[in-house]
Amino acid sequence: MSKLSSLTERAPGSRLVTHALIALVIFGILTWFNQIVDPLMSYYLATAAMYATAMFGMTILVGLSGQVSLGNGALMAVGGYVFALTSLNWQTVPILGTPWNALWSMVFAGIGGVVFGLLIGGVAARLRGPYLAGLTLGIAVGVPAIANRFPGLLGGENGLMLQVPYPAGGYASIDDGFDEEFIDDGGGESFVDDEPIYEELPDEFFEEAPLDDSLEDPLAEEDMLTDDDFLSEDDFLTEDDFATDEGFESDAGSDPDSMAEEDMLTEDDFLSEDDFLTEDDFATEEGFESDIDPGGQEDFVDDPDLADSGAGADLDLAGVDSGFVIEQWQASVAVAVACIVGFLALNLVRGRQGRVWQAVRDDPVAAAVSGISPSGSKVSAFVVSSLFAALAGAVFAQILSYVGPGAFALGLSLSLLVGIVLGGRNSLIGAMIGAVILVWLPEFVLSLAADRGWEDQVTNNAPNFIYGLLVVLVVLAAPGGLVGGVQDLVKRVTRR
Amino acid sequence: MTNFIDYFLGGVSTGAIIALMALALVLVWRSTRVVNFAQLGQAMITSFIALTVRDATGSWLLALLVAMASGLVVGVIVYFLVIRAVKRLDTSGAIIATFGVLIALQALAGMVWGGDQKAFPPPISNSGYEVFGRTWPFSPYDLLVVVMLIVLVLIMTIVFTRTSVGLAMRASAFNPEVARLSGVRVSRMLILGWAIAGLVGAVAGVLVAPLSTLSPTSFDLFLVFAFTAAVIGGLDSLVGAVAFGIGTGLVISLVSGYTDSGNAPVVALLLLVLNLLFKPEGVFSHHKARAV
Repeated sequence: MSKLSSLTERAPGSRLVTHALIALVIFGILTWFNQIVDPLMSYYLATAAMYATAMFGMTILVGLSGQVSLGNGALMAVGGYVFALTSLNWQTVPILGTPWNALWSMVFAGIGGVVFGLLIGGVAARLRGPYLAGLTLGIAVGVPAIANRFPGLLGGENGLMLQVPYPAGGYASIDDGFDEEFIDDGGGESFVDDEPIYEELPDEFFEEAPLDDSLEDPLAEEDMLTDDDFLSEDDFLTEDDFATDEGFESDAGSDPDSMAEEDMLTEDDFLSEDDFLTEDDFATEEGFESDIDPGGQEDFVDDPDLADSGAGADLDLAGVDSGFVIEQWQASVAVAVACIVGFLALNLVRGRQGRVWQAVRDDPVAAAVSGISPSGSKVSAFVVSSLFAALAGAVFAQILSYVGPGAFALGLSLSLLVGIVLGGRNSLIGAMIGAVILVWLPEFVLSLAADRGWEDQVTNNAPNFIYGLLVVLVVLAAPGGLVGGVQDLVKRVTRR
Repeated sequence: MTNFIDYFLGGVSTGAIIALMALALVLVWRSTRVVNFAQLGQAMITSFIALTVRDATGSWLLALLVAMASGLVVGVIVYFLVIRAVKRLDTSGAIIATFGVLIALQALAGMVWGGDQKAFPPPISNSGYEVFGRTWPFSPYDLLVVVMLIVLVLIMTIVFTRTSVGLAMRASAFNPEVARLSGVRVSRMLILGWAIAGLVGAVAGVLVAPLSTLSPTSFDLFLVFAFTAAVIGGLDSLVGAVAFGIGTGLVISLVSGYTDSGNAPVVALLLLVLNLLFKPEGVFSHHKARAV
């Protein structure tokens, strides 16, 4: 525990200020970026910031501390579920008695992450390479299965719909890339090998068009408002019912019962659950998004009556602002969390603790001789990465408005590993680059596939295929990832 | 009591398959000190190849043989990808490389065969024997699985203990330097180890596919089970892999029967944690698993 206390040790003041400045500048740039880009890009930004948050922890755990862990997706699940459960069930903060808000859920998600980090780290830090990887693999597979076992509390296979605390008046805006965003979620919860529903859904949604009708309807604005309330509120029951109806109406294949049966048959296969859940979730959201016509956004914003009724109808969350874009809100939350976590990580990595982790990684015996406890150092790396993962999981829950076993399946853990390896496992910049790669590559492949006319099953799996090959290639040719490779190149050039 | 017997019998064939998968992991570990997390991905690919052959020709035996041959080839290919990483780098690199291969293989299978759950019909009846007027959860197919395990284990035992190649392989695994000095071509033995592991994994894949369905990710859970069995058995013990593979299958079957099949991964995780906490070096081995 003495090592844990050293986590709170700060680097000298000047360095602290430097790090704070770095974090603030990045926060400022990303916030500005978030304001000027379209909502689709905001959504990518939110996802990338979420990945980066988790991968700062991977930098510390896999890179500096040298412990290959697949469990961080499961630790994100812990954060996500704590966020969901606390925000769904607690009206006031226990003991303090103050009203609940999302910030408290984040705090508790972090606490949950630390507790689980201690539990898992206590076991895992005693193990070396392959044993640790295998144990964390078991955690990545086993923890989502635990969620399945408590359908009452944790929502079982279907997970929990969240009441995401958006300020009132928010709406999901239109974006041109319906397909892209849809499949990006396949990319977001990467390693979805089979995404048949993605292929079918968009057309049917547009053709089925109980929603599209309202576009031409003179009452479109009111409809839009209702939809908007619905989206903003994310009422658990209503959303669930709606998703079910939607499933029946639009796609026989998404019949919840039959899907559930399939899931039961293939419980080892998280991906089909993934599809199912993602479809529900995003079908709903997208359905609404397609409903709102771009010109209507301004109408909505400008019309105070609509905005008022939007804020007042069902929302008990106090309206701060009206007429903003939900993707932008999600992105600003994700960016804020990522910058705070990045600031913490920067201090740890560049401070004493970073050197301790590396010393233990490179030579545990020598580190022990120098008065460092190797196991304490490894546990602390686990706790820190677990805290970061849990916070990322809480952000993920907000982005999806949902938590469920499918969202935190093995694929998520593998995504994090891929990202950190490709970006560079020893640096925080590598984590950020890796996060961008995780968001960008599926989009890139998708546009490529659209040009070349690839079959859907090829398109859907191509990103993962490229990930896999790249990971092997990077490990063989440039173990430092992109950042390490560039550093080597710079060194060579400057030497000559 | 009849429940217990039912669950027990139901776990035998699953256990035999987990034993085969654990054997594959152990064979690779013995030859190169790498846990090949891509092993079940390789088995998945070869099972898809087998399914394709079976659909084309209608012959299960031919499908099995093709799977075994392709298992050998894939094993060698993965060896060259991953082992290069081991030689150049740390163990972290090797572990990450095996996961990279796993990701690529799963995606490849999805690209070629799609992500749907595909049925892999068994060659012989998969419905239980009827004895004493009731149906027992043990089918001719389960018997075939068990027989296949026994045959493979017998062949491997004979190869490892009675042939010069087997001796050379054991020597390479035990002490590569001394083996090399004694004229054993160690690198060939290591490749052979990976190839045989690929073959055993391929057999396991073809055998397990009819028990559920085949999809790019349908073996994920078995990877955890096989790793659990191999680690509890001691990672470098063939006997341990077989014994605890069957044991893990039985425990999973009993837990699934008495509670819920969804508990199986949690139980496997629990077994793994307990083992790593109290006897991390495994039951049949004495090398060290703990770092500190």
